[in-house]
Amino acid sequence: MTNITDHLKEERNAAWREELRKAKKNKERTDLTRVEMPSAPPRERARSYVEVNSGLSPEQAINEASRCIDCPNPTCITGCPVNINIPKFIKNIERGQFLDAARTLKETSALPAVCGRVCPQEKQCEANCFYTLKLKREPVAIGYLERFAADYEQNSGEISLPEVAPSNGIKVAVIGSGPAGLAFAGDMAKAGYEVHMLEALHEIGGVLKYGIPEFRLPNKVVDIEIEGLRKMGVKFETNFIVGKTATVEELREEGFKGFFIGSGAGLPRFMNIPGENLVGILSSNEYLTRVNLMGASIQGMDTPVMRGKNVVVIGGGNTAMDSVRTALRLGAEKATIIYRRSLEEMPARVEEVKHAKEEGVEFLTLNNPVEFIGDENGKVKQIRVQKMSLGEPDASGRRSPVPIEGSEYIIDADTVVVSVGVSPNPLIPQSLPDLEVSRWGTLVVDQDTLQTSIPDIFAGGDIVRGGATVILAMGDGRKAAASMHLYLQGK
Amino acid sequence: MVNLTTKYLGLELKNPLIVGSSGLTANFESIERLAENGAAAVVLKSIFEEEILLEYKDTLSKELGFQENNLEFFDYYDLQLKDNAIEKTSQLISEIKNKLDIKVIASINCRSTGEWFSYAAKLQDAGADALELNIYRISSSAEENAQTISDNYLRIVKKVMNHVSIPVSVKMSPYFTDTSHMASRLSEAGVAGLVLFNRFYNPDIDLVNNKIVSGQVYSNATDYSWPLRWLAILNGQVKADLAASTGIHTPETMIKMLVSGASAVQVVSSLYKNGSDYLMDFLHGLEKWMSEKELETIDDLRNYGKQMMPDNPEMFERVQFMRYFSGH
Repeated sequence: MTNITDHLKEERNAAWREELRKAKKNKERTDLTRVEMPSAPPRERARSYVEVNSGLSPEQAINEASRCIDCPNPTCITGCPVNINIPKFIKNIERGQFLDAARTLKETSALPAVCGRVCPQEKQCEANCFYTLKLKREPVAIGYLERFAADYEQNSGEISLPEVAPSNGIKVAVIGSGPAGLAFAGDMAKAGYEVHMLEALHEIGGVLKYGIPEFRLPNKVVDIEIEGLRKMGVKFETNFIVGKTATVEELREEGFKGFFIGSGAGLPRFMNIPGENLVGILSSNEYLTRVNLMGASIQGMDTPVMRGKNVVVIGGGNTAMDSVRTALRLGAEKATIIYRRSLEEMPARVEEVKHAKEEGVEFLTLNNPVEFIGDENGKVKQIRVQKMSLGEPDASGRRSPVPIEGSEYIIDADTVVVSVGVSPNPLIPQSLPDLEVSRWGTLVVDQDTLQTSIPDIFAGGDIVRGGATVILAMGDGRKAAASMHLYLQGK
Repeated sequence: MVNLTTKYLGLELKNPLIVGSSGLTANFESIERLAENGAAAVVLKSIFEEEILLEYKDTLSKELGFQENNLEFFDYYDLQLKDNAIEKTSQLISEIKNKLDIKVIASINCRSTGEWFSYAAKLQDAGADALELNIYRISSSAEENAQTISDNYLRIVKKVMNHVSIPVSVKMSPYFTDTSHMASRLSEAGVAGLVLFNRFYNPDIDLVNNKIVSGQVYSNATDYSWPLRWLAILNGQVKADLAASTGIHTPETMIKMLVSGASAVQVVSSLYKNGSDYLMDFLHGLEKWMSEKELETIDDLRNYGKQMMPDNPEMFERVQFMRYFSGH
């Protein structure tokens, strides 16, 4: 830890940083108010897939960056799960060196254009900003700035590709092409390995493509990252299900020396309450995949999706927000969230809830479905809902939902999307019985090396953590790459 | 030859001996031993709503990641725990029905309506012969009065009954203000059996280590008097079958319960203390007594009991130690 602190100090003491700090007094900086992200008008954007947040202009970015006072003890970094050198990239933006800012980000983060858009900054870096902790004011918009720098680089045509070491002839396989796999692949390719990404779906990107909608994370942004990997020599194979198309043993026979499992947590979970098998009730995984990946938003596709007029989504996470906002874009007249706790306790990113509200989503908090009611054709038409009150706090500090006796009532719904969480993908554990698995179906790994119970197999991301964040998945991918490199070099 | 068959919850039991919901009825191996030793039925270890909620909270406290990064994953985790509990119990029911000659009464301990009624339906699908609902909870709130509390019980019971077709019994608390009224309301609602009574977990104080601990777990041999009293009072008053529970430690106590109007008895503590083969002692004791009294069937025994009972239940209503009776 000391060398990181020393390293940060050294960076901070660079001449350009000192100069920049002197260029403005701290009071001048703190007098500025936080930038407002330009966004598409709510009612219009609710009927299109245009990206909601338009991004900062260079002037806005520089202005916002100047709010950062370049703290001697940058607490924002402790809030970052992968310890990005936040002040350094922000100060690069302030001095107009946007490409340097992007490079700084890429020293640690494999996918800054993605993370800038989807990280829950309000719990991470921004929660630990000096402004939040000491001034009790709005933090520096670190997320917006990250996105700005990453987008600038992507659009500039001058994307820095890291130097790739000469090929060492060792083949490694990446199972799953989501953020964990992509980050792993990048680092291994840099180190000279022959990297093969094996993806079960027909598109690369995992949850970045099938899960997070276009209006939050445009596919183009993800594709640019993937293209970068392709240029570095990573090979991609789609429609390849490890465990079915070929087993790990068969891949070993083909010469693969190491495996990284990043197969994620995309197995839907249901509430298992009566009526859940009625027509018109589906999991958020299916709903979003049909739209995000299978083109169901376009009429006439072979894989359509239920286009309800009165859509109810159950849950309070990012997936629930994505689903309910997608419902609006599919033409729903009414789109409602039912969540058993209160608004403040929803796991979703604060910005997603805000955007959902602006777009006209209705929030039925402190309510929980107990039964789905169908019509004579077996299609859902109503939900029996029970009101909840908040009881004692649990470990997360949130108060537990307690049903209010006798409070049940009926609401109408013609489509229901169940978004109450996911389970880890069972395919790999099923095909490798020696792989140690936790009681939640996640893979058990060494905390330091991310090695599984099978020596040549490493894992990271949601398949290890259960559903968590993109930035953690990416951090895992990089960590596993470093470990596997050591492991393979030691053999 | 004495015929011990009896009817409880509409089920033909080979004898009146049921092993109550406990650790003894939590797994196949233990239940197999109980069946081999003659138990006619088991009430499976309860699926506890409260236990699931506690496990959920405990899991959250251990597994919630830094900055709540996996909160979405665990937000509705209690649903999964419930599913796992139901699945486990369903598998147990299935195995018992396939391999053993013993009736299976599934047990749910729930504190709220919510979606619990649907779990009862799943247990029915798994093959449970009947259901036992254990829904008592202590309300420490001064805001809740008896009417509210009782109405809630009825609401839960009716909800469950609307979703199952197998017989439903309710394990009652001994502490109702209006036990007769409650028994009657439940019976009118269609409850097939009433178990008198539940025995509760009791907190106690450890004065050496200065903490609150669990009190005595097993019942005492003298704990049977309250259920005995109420069996006698309710017998013939309500349509529902009556089963006795708490403090049945000897064949004599078992017989007293049957004589007072129980269709069946539930035993737990005595088996923990004496082993599963103690079931044989109960059955032999019952057979011996019936032979001595020249009673051939359980019906005969019930009639014998009816003749012993006073015309009115005043004797069983007596609770104070009065001088007039101190000579007894």
